[in-house]
Amino acid sequence: MDDRVTETTAGSPAPSVPVPAASKPSGWSGLLRFVGPLLWCVGLLLPVTLSPAWITVGGIFAIYAIVALSQDIVLGRAGMYDMGHAVYFGVGAYISAILSLTFGWPILWTIPVAVVVSAALGAVLSAPIVKLRGDYLLVVTIGFNAIFVLAMKNNLFGLTGGPDGIFGVSGPSVFGHVFGSQSDLFYLNWVVLALVLWIMRNLDRSALGRTFRYLKYDELAATTLGVNAHRYKVAAFALAAGIAGLAGTLFAMQLSAVSPGSFQFTDSVVLFAIVLVGGQASVPGVLLGTAMMFVVPQIFTDLAQYRYLVFGIAMIVVMVLRPQGIWPARRRGA
Amino acid sequence: MNQTVQPGQAPDGADTLLELDGIGISFGGLRAVDDLSFRVQSGQIVGLIGPNGAGKTTVFNMITGVYQPTDGHIRWHGRELTGMPPHRIAQAGIRRTFQTIRLFADMSVLENVIAGEHLQIRQKWWQGLLNTPAQRREEKDLVDRAMAVLEKMDLAGVAHENATSLPYGAQRRVEMARTLVAGPELVILDEPAAGLNEFESAALNDTIRAIRDTGVTVILVEHDMSVVMNVTDNIVVINFGKKIAEGKPEEIRSNPLVIEAYLGQDDDEDDPLMEAVQEATS
Repeated sequence: MDDRVTETTAGSPAPSVPVPAASKPSGWSGLLRFVGPLLWCVGLLLPVTLSPAWITVGGIFAIYAIVALSQDIVLGRAGMYDMGHAVYFGVGAYISAILSLTFGWPILWTIPVAVVVSAALGAVLSAPIVKLRGDYLLVVTIGFNAIFVLAMKNNLFGLTGGPDGIFGVSGPSVFGHVFGSQSDLFYLNWVVLALVLWIMRNLDRSALGRTFRYLKYDELAATTLGVNAHRYKVAAFALAAGIAGLAGTLFAMQLSAVSPGSFQFTDSVVLFAIVLVGGQASVPGVLLGTAMMFVVPQIFTDLAQYRYLVFGIAMIVVMVLRPQGIWPARRRGA
Repeated sequence: MNQTVQPGQAPDGADTLLELDGIGISFGGLRAVDDLSFRVQSGQIVGLIGPNGAGKTTVFNMITGVYQPTDGHIRWHGRELTGMPPHRIAQAGIRRTFQTIRLFADMSVLENVIAGEHLQIRQKWWQGLLNTPAQRREEKDLVDRAMAVLEKMDLAGVAHENATSLPYGAQRRVEMARTLVAGPELVILDEPAAGLNEFESAALNDTIRAIRDTGVTVILVEHDMSVVMNVTDNIVVINFGKKIAEGKPEEIRSNPLVIEAYLGQDDDEDDPLMEAVQEATS
């Protein structure tokens, strides 16, 4: 381009468009950059300050936060209604459990396999369906989840242990130290959560993450700019499934058992709701949603059985009064 | 930007960039475009005009792969473009804007323009996830290039604003910046003056000419005859999906078929072409 564009547009008679002053990304995100890691560090103190029950709650929170963040990649960022995300979480958990118990692999070695196989499954399952419109895609993914649970219950290949699942997964051993206690596992989960949070931050700053959002907001416009929509949508599923598979491994260690009951349609619904209620494409929102679902009920243990009732009411109230979620994403100005 | 002289281009710029050869498309029983042929020479500004519902946007949608023509061929530098999906056509160096502005809502002006650089992005997915130094450098380059275009379009001050919160005219310019940032060979503008006030639309004339002067060929659909008659080198007039005239602006003004097509409308009270014709003849 030459400079004539400047001269002509800038020199046009009275640019009648009031041009707002350049605004920098709000101070909030800058503050969060410090508060986030600080909260994570405070979390590290949890095992030395709280009771064992709370340590377990912290570990479970970290695992579900990872799964919910991965759900957010597909749902909140790429804008695809994946209502079967528990499948990839389950695949990761089953792969780690089977490889470590049936084939005697050290559990840490199962992690890359769980991640890669889950990601590959995410790609293979999504490839034929990503062209479907939102609501149709949602129904198909519900179908995936139903089939997965059925396959696990029926002891697929004689490996998945049927309706009761597989027991006895142990924590990893590193240099002779077995990560067996709840606080050991908490640290492990907490560190992996930090890794996933770092990846999410990078995703927000990368062409990949931006392209997911272009597709969410206007697929046609994105494709006329050269975006291969099919490829990127499958990539979103694969990335999200891989991260969910990673969380699955942690889950198998945390509970030392894996069963179909943990990866049902209702679990997918919960993940879906966490993203919507917390705030799509918002990391703090998703973490908040996860905390509401998995931590807050523990505070009121007597009322724990009302967890779905409370969350259900929260879903209704938030969706009606604040459809963008409790803590909506604040767009960085790139 | 890299678009000046194409290899194999005649010095006088007379080679055919885009050729529509007998293209047609039907929607159900409706023949929206029928046996339409015209050529766009490199370096030209070509106007596509016609009464409402004549099929102008449909033609654009076929060129950019949004619709697949049921008949005919679209050739680009002599190569077949027909049947390719939109992202492949973008790869060929064709960019477009939309009649109803299609910006990415909830994203900044800068991010919208960076979307136009998609095909120049070299970072691998894992480099993005790991935030490698090379990836960070590329991100900075993407921002710099986008800012340079925003600067030229008088939009640098709003780079960090939410794109869809801008006034209409500014949104149109963001969309144009998004098409220009990658240095395309051909830009297709679908009613760029729609919704602009008279100052903005006067500025638009200069902007379109400036785009052409950087070596980018332009096709535009436009109702604003002050834009069409002032900036185009060549005009194609269609009505009911068929070409009824083609020629230089002054030829089109006096073409009886064109006048009839516009007069034949029911809502000719403030018909833009007729106004332009009257203005030109008075």
